[in-house]
Amino acid sequence: MILEFEKPVRELEARIAELHRLAGPNAELQEEISRLEDALDAAKRRIYSNLTPYQRVQVARHPDRPDFDRYRDALADDFYELSGDRLGADDPAVRGGLAKIGSRSVVLLGHEKGDDVNSRVKSNFGMAHPEGYRKAGRLYDLAERLELPIVSLIDTPGAAPARAAEERGQAWAISADLMALARVPVPVVAVVIGEGGSGGALAMCLADHVVMLENSYLSVIAPEACASIIFRDEKRAPEAAEAMKITARDLLAHGIADEVLPEPLGGAHNEPEAAVEAVVRAIEGTLSKLSRLGPESLVKNRYERYRRIGTHVTEGEMAGTRGPGE
Amino acid sequence: MRCARRSIARSARRRGAEIRNWLHKRREYSRSASEAPDTESGLASTNGVFTKCEGCGQPIYEKELKARFNVCPHCQFHYPLPAPERVRLLADEGSFSERDAGMTAGDPLGFEDYREKLESAHEKTGLDDAILSGVARIGGHPVALAAMDFRFIGGSMGSVVGERITRTVEAAHDGGLPLVIVSASGGARMYEGIYSLMQMAKTSVALSRYMTGSSPYVSVLTDPTFGGVTASFGTAADVVIAEPGARIGFAGARVIESTTKERLPEGFQTAEFQKEHGLVDRIVHRLELKDDLERFLGFLT
Ligand SMILES: [Zn+2]
Repeated sequence: MILEFEKPVRELEARIAELHRLAGPNAELQEEISRLEDALDAAKRRIYSNLTPYQRVQVARHPDRPDFDRYRDALADDFYELSGDRLGADDPAVRGGLAKIGSRSVVLLGHEKGDDVNSRVKSNFGMAHPEGYRKAGRLYDLAERLELPIVSLIDTPGAAPARAAEERGQAWAISADLMALARVPVPVVAVVIGEGGSGGALAMCLADHVVMLENSYLSVIAPEACASIIFRDEKRAPEAAEAMKITARDLLAHGIADEVLPEPLGGAHNEPEAAVEAVVRAIEGTLSKLSRLGPESLVKNRYERYRRIGTHVTEGEMAGTRGPGE
Repeated sequence: MRCARRSIARSARRRGAEIRNWLHKRREYSRSASEAPDTESGLASTNGVFTKCEGCGQPIYEKELKARFNVCPHCQFHYPLPAPERVRLLADEGSFSERDAGMTAGDPLGFEDYREKLESAHEKTGLDDAILSGVARIGGHPVALAAMDFRFIGGSMGSVVGERITRTVEAAHDGGLPLVIVSASGGARMYEGIYSLMQMAKTSVALSRYMTGSSPYVSVLTDPTFGGVTASFGTAADVVIAEPGARIGFAGARVIESTTKERLPEGFQTAEFQKEHGLVDRIVHRLELKDDLERFLGFLT
């Protein structure tokens, strides 16, 4: 899939490839190729280093973006997958199990978006039903019991808005996850690798350390939905994306994210190895830092981390509090 | 046959008791309401004296509606209830002591029109935000109490709602008090962007800590309660009570219909629907709510 703003880059790449095919030893054409390659480089820099928030959302949604499987393979030599919510169902939109990251065993979980038509439909494009959140909750309990850190990879447009999800208590399943994450006495590391859609993302990223890839986003509502509700026009999604401050850098500035990982030029899908490598290093580093904290400090720090977030103004007080890090 | 007759007789007796109870309550509430300051019912008024009921189409005498805490006297339709009225309904007379009054919303993102929205909501309701909170007594039992107000930007949860809920939970935690939160919310306050999402996390860490203790948390869900509020403190309770007919859910019916093209059944997401699906413990008529909470709290003291 080619995103609209990537077209100039893709066109240049196609021309270069064509010339390569035609050129052979022709010196004149070689010169033309190297001129085009310079132009390509410049175009990439110009386009990719100035992505608007909404363009980043599109990058975050790119179908070729590295997904759960890709990170899992790079992170863990062995992944011992666990299924089901133990209440009657297994939601393919949430994956999880035991993984060994370096010498450390962890409970690894994440959203599954699928990578072809069938698997995308099967995993409901990463939009979990209550079964998915209950599966996550079950894994949080397991992590507590086995005293293993939790590592979650967030990539969801949001919790499934569906009849079946409502009938089975979508809100109840999400709130139970939030309550569980709030008090689980093991390190919790969350990495937003793509989309961080609302409560469906939060149910897996109330964490001690929140890492975001440069082009990932975390938002209370999809920009399209925000635009249609507030501006009464879905086409104003780019403005909504801008206004809501949903990009990784914005969230770092607001103290919601702790760390932003730069992506390869053009986004993780252009050079997945580099993006995956950065995520692996960030997780390893964070786990090693958090492993020094005891269960009580972890829970206490997590309490304070979230307790501070807000922008209310109190009479007599200077101003509202901000997020951590501010 | 005899068995069936007996059960009919029994249910008729019960019905009779219900009606007597009703009349009694009605008098009681009428008396206390007449002294209360006027508050907006949230209903479209036809001529300032009568209003047409959304539930049954019958005209309702507005004063009577107010006296019955916005419950239609004909069909028992429960209209949204302003937070101050909710507190008056639940708290023992004179027992409510508001906390964190004067806390107002910042505009962290400088979002278009947000200031104006806040100002007009304040003018309309006299409230600082979509919530009233503090400590009170219910039937003599001291509790931490918060009530949301749907009139204030759709009861949406921004930093003020999140902070006041959190402080209420913390007051309950510190004082070893039972906690009662009455929700009414369209969901997150988009104008506060990520800060609004993070209120779900903030209220959850507080509630999760509170619930490691042994004091109870009762969540009362009223029409409508959706989104970030249901997906955090609204449902994470020991006891979930809902008002009759209240619409409760995560995603709204319109969003579901437009996303999935599903046809939704009659009564989808109503309190009764949620109870049938095992998600709500009790459906309690508004005029019975205080008694019901007293009964519950009575088990724990
Ligand atoms: Zn009526």
